[in-house]
Amino acid sequence: MMLSLGPIIFGLILGLVIGSQIKPNIGDAKFTLASFVAILIAGIIIAWQAGNYPFYTGLPISFAFLSALIGILVGILLFSRRK
Amino acid sequence: MSQGSVILKIISLPISIILICLGIMTILGGHITPGGGFQGGAMIASGIILSILVYGLGNSPLELSHTYIEVLESIGALGFVIFGLIGLFVGGFYLYNFGTDLLNVVPAAIQNVFHYPDVTNAGIIPYLNIFVGLKVFVGLSSIVIAFAGFKKIVEETE
Repeated sequence: MMLSLGPIIFGLILGLVIGSQIKPNIGDAKFTLASFVAILIAGIIIAWQAGNYPFYTGLPISFAFLSALIGILVGILLFSRRK
Repeated sequence: MSQGSVILKIISLPISIILICLGIMTILGGHITPGGGFQGGAMIASGIILSILVYGLGNSPLELSHTYIEVLESIGALGFVIFGLIGLFVGGFYLYNFGTDLLNVVPAAIQNVFHYPDVTNAGIIPYLNIFVGLKVFVGLSSIVIAFAGFKKIVEETE
């Protein structure tokens, strides 16, 4: 099994950079931890459906998508601010 | 400006997050598949735009600050230019791919540092895709944020 480090590392970094700007509880938006667990499960299904895009080796799951999603969720947990 | 529907407000942020992840995936696959920096950046911006359209400017959970836009735009432009200049100085051409080094003119240490870690021999192309993606993402988002802001000002003055 070959695992490419590039999409995992840069997916996490880009996800963290963008996820740091998401504020889940502002205005009309009310998103709890359970909402993000649901988003994570949906994301895993989408990554599975995407196959091993963009590198056609290794496990049949898109690591770029999955690492970006994990980066965004970590960014929300670390940097989400309340107004 | 924001839409009133509760369903839209529940589903928009998850869809925005999924769109952003798809955009990042497109950026990171840009060197061997169709797509790349511009397309991925436009997809990420579409996530931001969806969120701003549904929740409205000022109430959106996905809103970019002025400083954030400035910093990412500068990183995108400067990164591209700096990688081009490194190629010029070590390889002799502007934007020479010093991560792959087809002409064998770059020292091995520089080549190893800038070689993108994956199964392809892409060199600096994925980094250039990432810089272009960052620039397009904040560029398109800032256009829509500006339009939404102008509309808000017009609505308030009327």
